[in-house]
Amino acid sequence: MSRASATESGRETFGAAAFSELRRRLATVPGVVPATADPPASHGRADEARIVPAELIEPPPLRAQAVGPPSSWPGPVAFLDGTQRHEVVAYAGPMPLVAAEVAAAVRERVGRQARTVHSRRRQLLIGRPEALALAADALPGVQTVALAADEPPHPLRDLELARAAVDRARGELELLAGDAYRRTAGHWLVVDGSLAESPAWAADPRMLGIAKSHASLPFGGTEMVTYLHLPAGHRSSVFRPSSRRQAPVYAWGLRLWDWTGKDLFFGLIRVEAAPTEETLRMADSISRWLLAERSPLSADPRWDRLLYGIHGVEEYLRSGGGSRNGQRVDEK
Amino acid sequence: MMPGEVKQPVGQVVATEQRPSTPHQFHFWTSRESPIGIGAIVRVDADGRIVFGVVTDGFAYSDLGSPIHAVIAADGDPAGPEEPTRRTEIRLYSAAVLRQMPEEPVQPVPLGPVRMAEDADVAIALRMDAYVSGERPTGVPVGVYATGGLEAPVYLDADFLLGPEAAHLNITGVSGLATKTSAVEFLLASLFQKFPVHKGSIAALCFNVKGPDLCFLDRPGELGDEDRRLYARLDLDPKPFDKVRYYAPYKPDGVNLNTLRTNEALAANTEPLLWGLREVLDYAEVVLNRDDVDAKADAFIDFLAERVVGKDFEDPTLPRRFRVRSFADLDEFFRAIFHVLEEAGRGGEVWRTHHIATIRKIRNRLGNISTRAKGLVTDDGEVNDLPWGSFEDRGLYVVDVAGLDPLAQDLVFARIVSRLREHLERRDLGVDHIVVFVDELNKYAPGDGPETYVRKMLLDISERGRYLGLVLFSAQQFRSQVQRRVVGNSGTMILGRMDGEELSLPGYSTMSPATRARLAALPKGELLIRHPHFTQPVFVRFPRPAVLSGREGVERFPPRPEVAFGEAVARRLRALDPALAAGRILEIIAGRREDDVRRALHATIRARPDQPLPFFQRCLGREVPPETVRQQAAVQPIRTSRDPY
Repeated sequence: MSRASATESGRETFGAAAFSELRRRLATVPGVVPATADPPASHGRADEARIVPAELIEPPPLRAQAVGPPSSWPGPVAFLDGTQRHEVVAYAGPMPLVAAEVAAAVRERVGRQARTVHSRRRQLLIGRPEALALAADALPGVQTVALAADEPPHPLRDLELARAAVDRARGELELLAGDAYRRTAGHWLVVDGSLAESPAWAADPRMLGIAKSHASLPFGGTEMVTYLHLPAGHRSSVFRPSSRRQAPVYAWGLRLWDWTGKDLFFGLIRVEAAPTEETLRMADSISRWLLAERSPLSADPRWDRLLYGIHGVEEYLRSGGGSRNGQRVDEK
Repeated sequence: MMPGEVKQPVGQVVATEQRPSTPHQFHFWTSRESPIGIGAIVRVDADGRIVFGVVTDGFAYSDLGSPIHAVIAADGDPAGPEEPTRRTEIRLYSAAVLRQMPEEPVQPVPLGPVRMAEDADVAIALRMDAYVSGERPTGVPVGVYATGGLEAPVYLDADFLLGPEAAHLNITGVSGLATKTSAVEFLLASLFQKFPVHKGSIAALCFNVKGPDLCFLDRPGELGDEDRRLYARLDLDPKPFDKVRYYAPYKPDGVNLNTLRTNEALAANTEPLLWGLREVLDYAEVVLNRDDVDAKADAFIDFLAERVVGKDFEDPTLPRRFRVRSFADLDEFFRAIFHVLEEAGRGGEVWRTHHIATIRKIRNRLGNISTRAKGLVTDDGEVNDLPWGSFEDRGLYVVDVAGLDPLAQDLVFARIVSRLREHLERRDLGVDHIVVFVDELNKYAPGDGPETYVRKMLLDISERGRYLGLVLFSAQQFRSQVQRRVVGNSGTMILGRMDGEELSLPGYSTMSPATRARLAALPKGELLIRHPHFTQPVFVRFPRPAVLSGREGVERFPPRPEVAFGEAVARRLRALDPALAAGRILEIIAGRREDDVRRALHATIRARPDQPLPFFQRCLGREVPPETVRQQAAVQPIRTSRDPY
């Protein structure tokens, strides 16, 4: 058995079985036709490319600055990530019924060994209220999310709304998992993505957000060149992304791997931290720590930007961890 | 009775499409720190079913996509800093099912928690519960199953080790690692102590075929605390064998024993193995090669055995009556026949329907025996043999043939085993079961080469011996080189440390690579055992035998160097009566013919009289002083004048 096939098998367990069960139950409902469709954005968001100018916090001009040799954080560190998956399971007339599974977990690393300390998983059925009402008898106990019904049904628009609902549900679950961890431990918590999901996270002096997506760039012109040409082991000056009005953070770009001969974004991450003097003071040491986190390498196409700790959370959730077939069930 | 659940799980069964569970195999993962290893016995509890399995293989892998990723992550520096997060790693084990409860219906192993087996689990998993307890238990301890701090005794079923259900035991292991000999010594001791009373009496006969391996079984060896603990765990008494008798042929001089057990302190239960013409003639087939075995040769040998040897034989063509009792007598008999045929001249090629060429061939072959087996075969007709008919219960008889010519070794094997069989068929051996231990089986029952009498005999024991109580314990370094049917008929198979090349042969392909790898590096005192009750072979640990090893024995009881004829005779007689003065014996035999002294010595040893010296003197007879024959004056012819010439 190869590792790849094991992973694949884990994914099947995660979604297909649960969704198939929903389809079987909906097949008995008059007016509802079971269906199979895997929307293109099922596995993540497609961000819109744009430039949102940021405010430099460190003295201008924007500079690339070497952070020094990698140095791992000596104490416990936790990683938080979430996963989502959704499929169309039926149509009630033109209205899609979308089944989704969202999950989030925190894995804490102590002495090089990572263990799951919090995990949450939810199964949802999303659709217009009329469609959900039709299916209600067949799906007792399934948590439902009603889409806005102020416009006439349109299958594609409804699917887009459903996807956004799944995004929100995953984000909520991540917040719950992160808050749960924060209530029990004060160690560094590294989040996959932005800290702007929560003002509390953005203000937390022991949280970091690691953004791998660069659809939204903080600089244009020559500063963009400086930002996107960061050499390996260098960070940009600290800036404040202007898109984070509700939850302001400090951020900087950090090149984990040499991009020469590869893609412009290869090895480039954006680090987000609390907007404090402490963050400014620690930007280099945090960067050195994140450089150390390049190893071990994640077995993932995004390995150049995906920290192994985050990858571990993803793998845990994809393998069904926290599900009824796994070790714990926190909520449905 | 379903055994209750006990320990915390150490693993979980996993089953995928590529690696599914079956009724006979399953897979489970454990933590890295788990005590599970190859050979460990585990139990799975799930869905009202308990499954026992033995770990046959292990795998570990991480989530590393490609080795190059490790190089990249370390910036090409193997000595670089430690990775802050330990990679996710799996310990995945394959296990072969030993037993399922309930046994029916036969189903694939369910998903469920995996636990280490405990004492009671081991007994059930190996189906020992059927014969270790109850009114008539037949369990014989063979060692302990030891894994993860557990030491559970493992028993063989005497009904399947000594018959009648199955029988025989075969051991394979490389030389010099105390596998084969030690295992047999320990198992024999265990058998003697735990052989169930209701199965009758038992004895063992061991052929010592090399060095001092089996020469000190009556002497206590040094045991460590660990060994004593294992003996206690197996409820065995760590003591040497108390009824041991050694038999060894003489060296060609006929008075020094051909064994390493010649130290005077060991003489009391060491006696010569000495056969005469009759003993050899009955097994003449052994010493005849394939070309010799024809109807004519058989007919002449039968004629000698039935009409000549041990009887008064007369024939009008021969000059006198013959009473053939020894090889010397036989040779005289042959010479008389040849003389008659030569005198007859043309047409004198047949004597009593036997062609002269056949007679010469048989004379040559039989004469060859007395030459090549000199020391074992006596010319004078005195014999000293195993105690046929009076074998003792729990008696151990060791026949030391290490110093014998291969032909003589074959003769010893053939005759002793044949006699054992004859006595067991008549139920008059003295014991109900006899275990025969033969080492170097690849030499005596090779897988290829010409058919020999010894190989046929070993095959016969392995196929039919169990019905008689004749059980073969055999050992060899390379099982692949032994006649397949001989080892195939062994109900119990033991493997010790094995040679890697041997393990790569198809005969071992049913074992997993991990089991083979463990066998190739097995430490002293550990064995892999296959027994009819065990669905899968299991590894066990056994203590050192409580007897002196050959090497230690030779150091503690160094063999006496070969001594002069007179001193050797004195020593043999002093073994019968230590109070005898060597000087007095030398005085008695001074000037006497060696053949006469040898004959008297052999008769004394065989008779074991209360007063050896007077008996010896009587056998020796009075000395006849040499006489010088005076030459008489020749008688002169009478001359007469009438003589015309």
